[in-house]
Amino acid sequence: MQPLEDAPLTQSVQSLPMAAAAAMRSPPNQRQTLASDAHPLAQSEASLLPLRERRAANPSAASLFRSTLTPPGSRSASPAASINRSPSRALSGSVFGGAGGFRHSLLDTAAADSPGDPLNLILRSFVPHIAIYGSEDVDELVGEKGFRGGLWELLRPFGEQVQGKVTIRDSNGGSRTWEDFSVRFTRFGDGVEEPEPAAGGMRSPPLTAVNGQAAASPKKAGSLVDQVERVVDRHLSYAEDAYMGITSPTTPTRHGLDTDATSVYYALYLRRLLSGIPLSCHESFAHPVACVMAISSRNPSPIEALRKLYTETTQGGNRLPVWVDGEYLRYYVLVHDEERSDITKSLALFDQMKRHFGLHCHLLRIRSSETAETDDDSQQLPRSDWMTPAEELADIERSDRDEDFEDPTRYIFGSDATAIRTFVREMVTQSIIPTMERNVSVWNDQVASRRRGLSGRFMSLSKRFTFGGSSRSSTGTRTTGSTNYEALGFFRPDTPEAIMRRLADFAFMLRDWKLAMSTYDLLRSDFQNDKAWKYHAAANEMAALALLIMPQNMSSKTRIETINQMLEQAFYSYHTRCNSVYGAVRCTVLALELLRLRGGSGIDEAVRWGIRILETGLLGRIGDALLKERMAICYASKHGAGSQAWGSRRRKSALWSVLGAETWIAQAKYIQAQKCLNEARKMYSLLPGECGVQNFGLASDFLADLNEQLKEGLRIDIPTRGDEEGDNQDHGEPELLVDEESEMLDRRRSRRTSLIVPGAGGGTASLETAPLTPLVPARLSSVEDEGEGTSPSKDGFG
Amino acid sequence: MSYYFAIIGTQDNPLFEYEFGTSKQGGDGQSRFTDQARHLNQFVLHSSLDIVEEIQWTSNQLYLKAIDKFFNNYISCFITGGNVKLLLLHQPLNPAGAAGGTTRNSTSIGANPTSPQTEEAIKNFFTEVYENYVKAIMSPFYKANMEIKSPVFRARVAAAGRKYL
Repeated sequence: MQPLEDAPLTQSVQSLPMAAAAAMRSPPNQRQTLASDAHPLAQSEASLLPLRERRAANPSAASLFRSTLTPPGSRSASPAASINRSPSRALSGSVFGGAGGFRHSLLDTAAADSPGDPLNLILRSFVPHIAIYGSEDVDELVGEKGFRGGLWELLRPFGEQVQGKVTIRDSNGGSRTWEDFSVRFTRFGDGVEEPEPAAGGMRSPPLTAVNGQAAASPKKAGSLVDQVERVVDRHLSYAEDAYMGITSPTTPTRHGLDTDATSVYYALYLRRLLSGIPLSCHESFAHPVACVMAISSRNPSPIEALRKLYTETTQGGNRLPVWVDGEYLRYYVLVHDEERSDITKSLALFDQMKRHFGLHCHLLRIRSSETAETDDDSQQLPRSDWMTPAEELADIERSDRDEDFEDPTRYIFGSDATAIRTFVREMVTQSIIPTMERNVSVWNDQVASRRRGLSGRFMSLSKRFTFGGSSRSSTGTRTTGSTNYEALGFFRPDTPEAIMRRLADFAFMLRDWKLAMSTYDLLRSDFQNDKAWKYHAAANEMAALALLIMPQNMSSKTRIETINQMLEQAFYSYHTRCNSVYGAVRCTVLALELLRLRGGSGIDEAVRWGIRILETGLLGRIGDALLKERMAICYASKHGAGSQAWGSRRRKSALWSVLGAETWIAQAKYIQAQKCLNEARKMYSLLPGECGVQNFGLASDFLADLNEQLKEGLRIDIPTRGDEEGDNQDHGEPELLVDEESEMLDRRRSRRTSLIVPGAGGGTASLETAPLTPLVPARLSSVEDEGEGTSPSKDGFG
Repeated sequence: MSYYFAIIGTQDNPLFEYEFGTSKQGGDGQSRFTDQARHLNQFVLHSSLDIVEEIQWTSNQLYLKAIDKFFNNYISCFITGGNVKLLLLHQPLNPAGAAGGTTRNSTSIGANPTSPQTEEAIKNFFTEVYENYVKAIMSPFYKANMEIKSPVFRARVAAAGRKYL
C-alpha cells in the first residue's frame, strides 16, 4: 500500500546485507536496556516501599490533580493551544453551547470546541495513533532533558493539538479545514490486547512484556474501567482533603447545573476511559497509522541504526501482533543535539537519510540540556491530557508513598517547543494525512465499493452459500475456511473485512462521517454472518456514533430507531456475548452523550441508555454517582416550550440530582453531594409552582435527612476551621434556624425551610459551601459569649 | 405487585396518597414496598409530572395509560378537567427474567405492566376513583388544592383497588 516509502528501503536493505545482519544480532542486547529504561518507576517503587507513609498533602503532588482543580475552559489543552486559541475563544463554547442548531452535523455546534465537552473528547480520542520507536541514543538524549520516558514523553503533549489548520479531503474530493486536529503518540507496542482465540487457533506471539510497562500491560477490558474508576476516586478524595478547610472550594465552582460545561470529574472519567483504547484486533483505532523511527545525531552509524529499527518493527520480537497491518507509514526522524553535535554533519546525514528513505524524514533540532523553571525562554510543558489510567494511577500512588516525590511538571525551552510543534505539524499535514487519504481512496475503490453495488451483495451471498445448504442448516459444523474469521479468532489484516474496518476507522479519524458510516454499515452484517461478535459490536458502536455525529437527513424518529437498534446490538454483543465491560461502557456512555447533544427525544433516549448501564451494574460506585449526576444534566438540558416550560424535565433532573447526592454521601464525598443537592434545589425552585417535593412527606424528610448528613459530613471533615473564620461570618445562622421553626405553620413559605438551606438557592461559588459548614463555630461561640454576658460580635450582627 | 396511588393538585402538591398491594392471585392487599422505596416512590411520582405535562397535550383522552418508567416502576396517569392528576405507580414483583413467575402469571395484571389487560384494569380503577373524587370535592367545605382527608373516600379508593388491581 505504501510503495513510496517501502521501495527505497527494501532496495537499500538488499544492497547492504551486512548491516542488516548486524542489526539482527543486536536486538536482544538492546531490548534489555530498553526494558530497564522503562522500569525506573517500578524499581524506585520497590525500593521505597518500606518508607511508605500517608501524608496529608504533598505540594508537588498537587500538579497530579491539576486537571480537576482548574476549570476546564481556562486551561490550555496543550502547548500549542496557548498560541492557537485565546482563552475567550475557548470559553465561548460554553456560552453559546446550548443554542446550536441540530439541522447540521454535531460538529457545527459549539460543543465541539469547548474543551472537556464529551463531543470534543470523542473527536480528540478517536484520532490517528502514531507509534514512536527511538534508538537508545535518542532516549539517552531526551533523558538528559529530564524525560525518562524517552522521545515519546517529550512529544506526547504536542500531539494533542496540531498547530494551525489542517485540511482534509474527504472521499468526494471536497476538502474541509479543521483547527483542532490532533494525533496521539504512543509507545510502539504498548497496550496490546490479545484477542480471545475463537477456535483454539494460532495465537500471535506475546509481546506486551517486551517493551517495558510490565505493570500496565496486562490491561484487560474490565480492569480498565476499574482503573478509570480509581483514578477519578483519587482526584475526588484529593479535592475533599485539600479543600475542606478552605472557605470557598475552587473545585465545585464552575459548572453548576450549567448544562454546557461538563463536570470536571465526569470529563476526567470520560477522558481516561477513552485514552486507554487498547490495541486490539476488533477495531483499528489504536493501530499505528505511522511509526516514528528516531535516531539522534550522536549515533555513530545512523543509517544502520535506522535500518535496524525498521527491521525490528517488521520482523523482530518487537513487532506488532499479526492482526495489525504491518504496512503503516514509517517516518524517520533525526534528532539533532544543538549543544553538542555539529549541524553541518547532521545536515549531511539528513540529506543522506532523504536519499535513502524518501520524503518522510524530518530533522528535529533540540537542545539537550535540562530546562529549569528559571531559565530564560523556558516554557512549562503541560502533563498530557491523555494519559492512560494505569499511568496516572501509578503516578498518584508513587506520590503517595514516595517521600521526596518530585514535581512531574517539566519545562522545556521555547525554541525546542517551536521545533517540535513544527515537526508535528509537518509530519501530520505532509505525511500522515496524505497517506491516510490515499489509503482511504484506494481501499474504498478496491474493496469497499465492490461490496456496495448489486454484485457486491451477490458476492457476499455466494461466499456464504459456497458450501451448499448443509453449512446453513447445521450452524455449528461449518468448515473452517468458509469465513476469514473462524480459524484464527481474528481477521488477518489482508482480508477484505479487516481492510474495510481500517477504511472505516481512517474515515472516522479524518472525520468523513458519511463514508465511515456506510462502511461500518456494510461491516455490521458481515461480522454478524461470521459470528465475530466483538467485531460486530465495535462496528455497530461506531456506526451509531458516526450516524449521531453526521448531519441528519432522515426524520428524527427513524434516525433514533436506527441508532437504538445499532446500540442495542453493540451493547448486547459487547456485554452478553463478549463480556467486555469496557466496550459496553464506552459504547453506551458515548452514545448517551451524543444523544443528549441531539436534543429533543434524544434526551429521553440518552437517559434510557443511562438507566440501562445502571441496571446492568457495569460501573463501580464512582461511575454510578457520576452517571447519575450526568443524567440530571441530561434532563436539565431539555428546554421546554412557553412560560410553563412544558416538555422540560426539571423534576426528573432534580430527582437524578437527589439520587446522585445520595450516592455521593454514601461514599463520603461531601463536596460532590453538596453540589448535587444544590442543583436539585435550584431545579425545584425553577418549577412553575416553585415548590418541589416538600409537600410529599417522606420525600422531603429524606431530603432533609440528606442535608443533615451533609452538614454532619462537612463538619467532621473540618474540625479546626471554625476558630479562624466562624466568628465574623455566621452569627445569622442560629436566628435563621429559629425562624425556620416558626415558619413551619405557613405552608406557602415552609417549602423554603424544608428544602432550602439558607442562602444556598443562588448558585454562586462562595455560597455553595459557606452556609452549611460554619454552624458549629457559630453556636459554640454564642455559648461562650453567654458566659461572658454580652457578645460584641453578636450585637454587631443581630 | 405493589401500588402507590396519589392525587396531585395543580401546585405539585399531593391531595391524597394511598399505598396498597394487589388482591388478585391471592394477594393480601398489602403493599410490599421497602422503607427505602417509600420516599423514592414519591420522588419518582413527582418527577413523572414532567412527562404528564408533555403528554397531556398529545391525547384527548383523560386516561393517558402508562406514561413513564423508572427502573422497575411504571407510572400510569389519569388527568382530570381541573388539572388534577391521578397517578398510579405500579411495581411488578418479579421483573422480567424470573422464569417461573412469568409463565404462571403471564396473563395476570401484575406481570406485564403495559399489557392491554393491565391498562384496562387500571383504567377501571381510575374511573371509579375519579367518580368518587368528584363526589368528594363537591363537599361545600372543600377548597381547590386542599388535601382530601375524608375517610369515606379513602375506603372507597381501597375498595376500588381491591376490586380491580
